[in-house]
Amino acid sequence: MAFSKFLESKRNDCKELVAELLKRYSYASILGSDVSSFGITANKSTSAINEGTLSECGFVVKLHNGRSFFEYSLDDISGDKVALADKIASSLEVSSSISDDMIECNTINDEPLVQSFSRECDRSTFTDKDILDTCIKIKDDILSRDERIVNAMASVSCFSVSKLFISKNRELDQYYSWANGFAIAVLKDGDKIVQARETTYSHLLSEAINTLPSKVDRLVDKAIKLASAKPIVPGVYDVITDPSITGLIAHEAFGHGVEMDQFVKDRALAKQYLGDYVASPICNMKDGAASALSTASYFFDDDGVLAHDTQIIKDGILVSGISDVVSATQLGTEPTGNGRRQSFKRKAYSRMTNTFFEAGNDKLEDMISSIKHGYMLFETNNGMEDPKNWQIQCTAEYGIEIVDGKLTDNYVSPVVMSGSVPELLKSITMISDDFKVIGAGSCGKGYKEWVRVSDGGPALKARVKLA
Amino acid sequence: MRNDIISVLKENANISAYKVNTTTTESYELFFVHNTLETVRSTSTTDTTVTVYVEHDEKLGDATFSVYASTTLDELKEKTEKAVNKALLVNNKPYSLPECEELVASIPSTLQKDSPKDVAAKIAKAVFAANDDERGSINALEVFMNKITTSVVNSNGLNKQESKYVAAVEAIPTWNEGESVELYKYFKFSELDENAITNEIKEAMREVSQRGIAQKPNVPINCNMVLCAQELSELFANITDELGYASVYFGQNAFSKGDSIAKDQTGDAITVSMKASIPGSADSAVFDADGVTLSDVCLIKDGVVTNYYGSNRYAQYLGENVTGVLKCISVETGTLTEDEMKLAPYIECVSMSGLQVDVYNDYIGGEVRLGYYFDGEKITPVTGISVSGKLSTALSTARLLREASVKGNYYGPQKGMFGGITVI
Repeated sequence: MAFSKFLESKRNDCKELVAELLKRYSYASILGSDVSSFGITANKSTSAINEGTLSECGFVVKLHNGRSFFEYSLDDISGDKVALADKIASSLEVSSSISDDMIECNTINDEPLVQSFSRECDRSTFTDKDILDTCIKIKDDILSRDERIVNAMASVSCFSVSKLFISKNRELDQYYSWANGFAIAVLKDGDKIVQARETTYSHLLSEAINTLPSKVDRLVDKAIKLASAKPIVPGVYDVITDPSITGLIAHEAFGHGVEMDQFVKDRALAKQYLGDYVASPICNMKDGAASALSTASYFFDDDGVLAHDTQIIKDGILVSGISDVVSATQLGTEPTGNGRRQSFKRKAYSRMTNTFFEAGNDKLEDMISSIKHGYMLFETNNGMEDPKNWQIQCTAEYGIEIVDGKLTDNYVSPVVMSGSVPELLKSITMISDDFKVIGAGSCGKGYKEWVRVSDGGPALKARVKLA
Repeated sequence: MRNDIISVLKENANISAYKVNTTTTESYELFFVHNTLETVRSTSTTDTTVTVYVEHDEKLGDATFSVYASTTLDELKEKTEKAVNKALLVNNKPYSLPECEELVASIPSTLQKDSPKDVAAKIAKAVFAANDDERGSINALEVFMNKITTSVVNSNGLNKQESKYVAAVEAIPTWNEGESVELYKYFKFSELDENAITNEIKEAMREVSQRGIAQKPNVPINCNMVLCAQELSELFANITDELGYASVYFGQNAFSKGDSIAKDQTGDAITVSMKASIPGSADSAVFDADGVTLSDVCLIKDGVVTNYYGSNRYAQYLGENVTGVLKCISVETGTLTEDEMKLAPYIECVSMSGLQVDVYNDYIGGEVRLGYYFDGEKITPVTGISVSGKLSTALSTARLLREASVKGNYYGPQKGMFGGITVI
């Protein structure tokens, strides 16, 4: 596998179209995207080999007319470039009733750069049969473990991305892939049904596949424990978060809040807090496609800006946001390589990539033993941001009660953690010295614009409201 | 392109059946920062997905692949051959595709009366017209105007096409008195009604102004919970998801036919149907991805599960009627009046971070960004609280308002009142 032959064949078409568009606009660039993906699944009585939902092939044109921004998404750029440029310009005309309301903003900085990037990929070493056989074997193994398991699923998915970025001064291409494995057990105990899951993830398909069978013991044990889980008594508790929940806090508490397109719209309270303490002084947080190797690691973003490793919080102080080209241009800052699209058909926004708290100095066992009564929270279910007013809601799949400094066998599920972001972050008193970034997530902006993200970090000790 | 695809599929002797799904989208989009237009977008794209079915060893295998505008005939043949080989690996219980049926449906809409750019501008102006107070602002606005044409063709001669217009608004009403606060507003619609848009945003402006003065209660609250249409739609979607044929086939449905979803009912009887269409809803459709003409079905009658619903394949596996994958939820109104609501204290959840419903763990709850707390005498805006309780208790005590409204894919009571809730 390597960079898309299709995009390679369109490189000159892109250059010709950019040249033609520059006769009409002060800035023009084209992002070509060719993404192939697949999902192979086996469950109790069916199996499937399907094209993945991330597959796409097409182009998006980005323009600036010396005043405002324009984009046009299309399937192909073959043919007469003059006619195509005319069609694009015509499609982007603005109603005369609002044409006076257009923003006035400097044009996009188009620094010269020509570079190709690629990352090792082992997709071709596995046949579809290899993968399906593995999924069936894992599924059968799960089903054989306990007669209360009514369904089991094993799934492997992978996406391979080729992107080509062409502007007057920049010519970039990249190729990379990412793979995920999922194992799910559905257990019915009396009237109660529980669902447990385990994930694997890697830039190598072999790692995602080969580590999945080893997750079955933990998966089945978890399903059995969840069957006896009780609802939590609502209240304020000392908690320890596992890396997944730590990552969810990083993501919802501050990740969305430092997306700088929200700064432009005065939608983020963080804009007023740059340079101020926003968290406990032992907290450090990062985001960036180059910050970790995970599902959101790329070489350049959808605006043609190279991947960054951005320090968001340093020793409890908010030091930086993350931006796409349009928001950075309006704010007069350098873009941080966070311009991302759900697909070539959608707008680029400032988006998170790999977002995580950095490791601390505490031992996890010391953190647990420091709690008289509380909970350790595990596995992200979902979360919701509120960057303007710094409220947070994070849902964990389950928690385990801690009594007198020891984890018990008492499971609670589900667990919804909510409250004020500064109160939560300032309540962090211990951070473990281990660290994990979990590459199995997706994130929306509001209720749309889904992109793949990772998040994670060490274990945190904090005091939060659970319900 | 579609003719080329069908020719290649027909040429391949290993293919027992096929299906071709195509979605063409023409869009015009406006992105405002405060009151100024930052970005104008337009798209013209087509998605084509081919599914091949191969009978082998008394089993049925299938595999899908995408076809792009740039896909050549040779590439198409190669993709088809690869899909056949994938399908030969898949050993599913056989089922048949929907029979020959032809349909061309074009849903007329007032959204098509002007050019997309002019309609989008009208929508934007209708949103901004809602803010007539200098303490308020619309800090961001996105307007989407889409013409979407979907089609499905299969090897039984089924050939259906549906065109519809869908608009969407994402607006951020903001109140700037004291600490600036905002609420998130997203809605889709299929008819242009500028007054309705203005009124929807006006109501959101009123709510966000209340969030500006809302306080965290300084005394414990013990009262009923009132959910509005948005959260009611999420609650009932979680329940109807359990009644899909696929969930039932795999034995992982929380509710079965004959089950009461609300034991020891003390509130209103709950009746829920899945429908093909709801007037004004952008989720209305004529057929599903298999080309099955959608048939309305009542899933829950007076609190008791009476039917399931779902796709052609799983309907056949279960020996049930093929309803198609219905998207719209209709809930019968109840007996509650606004006056009755005030017979006891309640908290009306006007804006939540997202209602959390877990039917397996019998849980309902979430963080309330703006609530109206009625203490028995007066209504006070509150924030910074969470609600939680047992889903089963909430359903058995549910009282549903007499008045109905449409919210996305939901038609049903404007509000519902639930007991057994803890507020912290």
